Amino acid sequence: MSGITVALAGFALMLVLIALRAPIGLAMLLVGSGGYILLHPSGSLAFFGYMKTNPYHQFANYTLSVIPLFILMGALAERAGIATALFKSAEGALGRFRGGLAMAVIGACTAFGAICGSSVATTATFGRAALPELEKYKYDGGFATGTIAVGGTLGILIPPSVILVVYAITTEQNIAKLFQAALIPGLLAAVFYCLTIALVVRHNPALAPMTAKATVERAPRSIVQIVFGLAIIGGIAAQWLRGRLEWDNALILGVMALPMMLVDRAVMPAISIAIVVVGGIYGGVFTPTEGAAVGAIAMLLVGFAQRTLGWRDILQAIRQTAETSGMIFMILLGAEVFGAFLALSKLPTVAAELIGSSGFSPYVVLVAMLAFYILLGAVMDELAMILLTLPVFFPVIQALDFGMQPDEVAIWFGILVLIVVGIGLTAPPIGLNVFVISAMARHIPMTATYKGVLPFIAADIIRLALCVAFPALSLWLVRALN
Amino acid sequence: MSNETLPIEAAGPVAPPRSAIERLTSHVADFGGLLTLAVALLATASVLLRWLFSAPIDGDFEYVKMVTAVAVFTYLPYTQARRGNIMVDTFTGWLPERVRNVIDAFWDLVFAALLGYLTYCLVHGTLAAITSGETTMQRQIVLWPSIMLCTALSGLLVVTALATALRLIAASANRNAS
Repeated sequence: MSGITVALAGFALMLVLIALRAPIGLAMLLVGSGGYILLHPSGSLAFFGYMKTNPYHQFANYTLSVIPLFILMGALAERAGIATALFKSAEGALGRFRGGLAMAVIGACTAFGAICGSSVATTATFGRAALPELEKYKYDGGFATGTIAVGGTLGILIPPSVILVVYAITTEQNIAKLFQAALIPGLLAAVFYCLTIALVVRHNPALAPMTAKATVERAPRSIVQIVFGLAIIGGIAAQWLRGRLEWDNALILGVMALPMMLVDRAVMPAISIAIVVVGGIYGGVFTPTEGAAVGAIAMLLVGFAQRTLGWRDILQAIRQTAETSGMIFMILLGAEVFGAFLALSKLPTVAAELIGSSGFSPYVVLVAMLAFYILLGAVMDELAMILLTLPVFFPVIQALDFGMQPDEVAIWFGILVLIVVGIGLTAPPIGLNVFVISAMARHIPMTATYKGVLPFIAADIIRLALCVAFPALSLWLVRALN
Repeated sequence: MSNETLPIEAAGPVAPPRSAIERLTSHVADFGGLLTLAVALLATASVLLRWLFSAPIDGDFEYVKMVTAVAVFTYLPYTQARRGNIMVDTFTGWLPERVRNVIDAFWDLVFAALLGYLTYCLVHGTLAAITSGETTMQRQIVLWPSIMLCTALSGLLVVTALATALRLIAASANRNAS
């Protein structure tokens, strides 16, 4: 049997195992192990040698260490009352518009997305922080939960993003560049979601009654935050003068630091952490792992200072980090072994050559892949989906000529994958974010939430088309910063 | 995707551990969480020292790597005990709970067997690391203690998978009896 046949049979077997309730990480590990033994000339002996230290060395990986740290940072943020402060602040700014509270959810999720890399955590957090408020003002149930489910995707669309980290590790790309590339499409998502809300409530005003005119007293800006903001800008200027930062990076970091002085006092700590972490990674001040570490510690300090985090909250955050990280690393272990099996089968190389020489337009292949992802994402976990398919899809994408450097194509493709993952998280029949919000709001039928989500999915498809047609939306900031 | 993965994040506060294995693994995971916090503190201290005094902690990334590996191995048993590993129940959701429990118990046994083999491989990896005296590049930290810890935790993962399988079989049998 040729390697290709074994690989194709392996894929089929794995899908059968997954359909039969095998945990996805186990299915990949099982099929990957069997395929490896079958295809390697030294068979089980080679597999024994491979497994003697591989599980340890795979987890003792500096780049991978960013995952538990970002999850910890998000878990602490979830419990530090930051979401409530962000929502109240956004409510104060947008509450006077029709559908303003829904827009406030999107605005607050955008800011929260910059300190949390998980869409599930963002959805769960805003389910608690915003849903009671939306219901109090008589927003339609499905529209409210649909908005929160979609807002939750901003957790991964706005950097930092755990999905992007996994993509970066799997395809050996630079995490910082992927975070840079995700910013404009992520902000575009927030704008599109707000426009969608405006259009939907204009078409059906009953979804968001005008009685829902929230009047929230905005906390004044304090001298402390202005001094803190100036100190950060002063620090950036000092590093530029010492030759540690290029002038353009310093300028971008300086502009990013400005909101620290402009936002409400209540949200200033959260915004500061987001800016320091994301800005620091963008500016090359620290590695993504260091950024996540600084973010987690800063979140801890803010929680202690504001008395919103107690020991019990920290313990809960730690356990949440443990379960979520354990789940991700189990899939990563399976994907590593499955990837090694695929490499032995030579399927990725053959697929890349075959499609490269087929005469198909690169864009046709790309659109077909994205359509496949949208379909697969509707019935499968998104993280597992990208880990399963990237070993084959990525070499194919790299072999196609889009008129760009291969590393730029890799980054652009990563952002497109991120967008389709976002769609998969909310699209029926299996949208994880919808499951999360439905578990929290059992009085609202899941079908109503899916109905509420549909207009946003249309907006996502338009945004995806724009990002496919205009790679500069993803690559402009990367080119400007590097 | 299984709804079983939802409660921990959707419900906010983490439900208190129930079974003995869940209690044991939660304490082990707490220790791993403290290790992750320690990694965060170390990396933050190194960034501050580098930023302020151009003197980062020497070889900080080696500590981060080693400690993260141990922390991740402490997480895996807890995730298994809470049945947090992602699975798809789209095609089997219609089956009676008893049948689903039996299928899940079967996969837990397969998981225990496969992880048992991987633990056996890791034992040999640990012995090889002890014999070779392998160290990290920069700080020359001996590797075998952390590999050995990970191997022991991998063994705990096997025990946990067996325990979750037995729990499911018992639940299925109870349902039959009633």
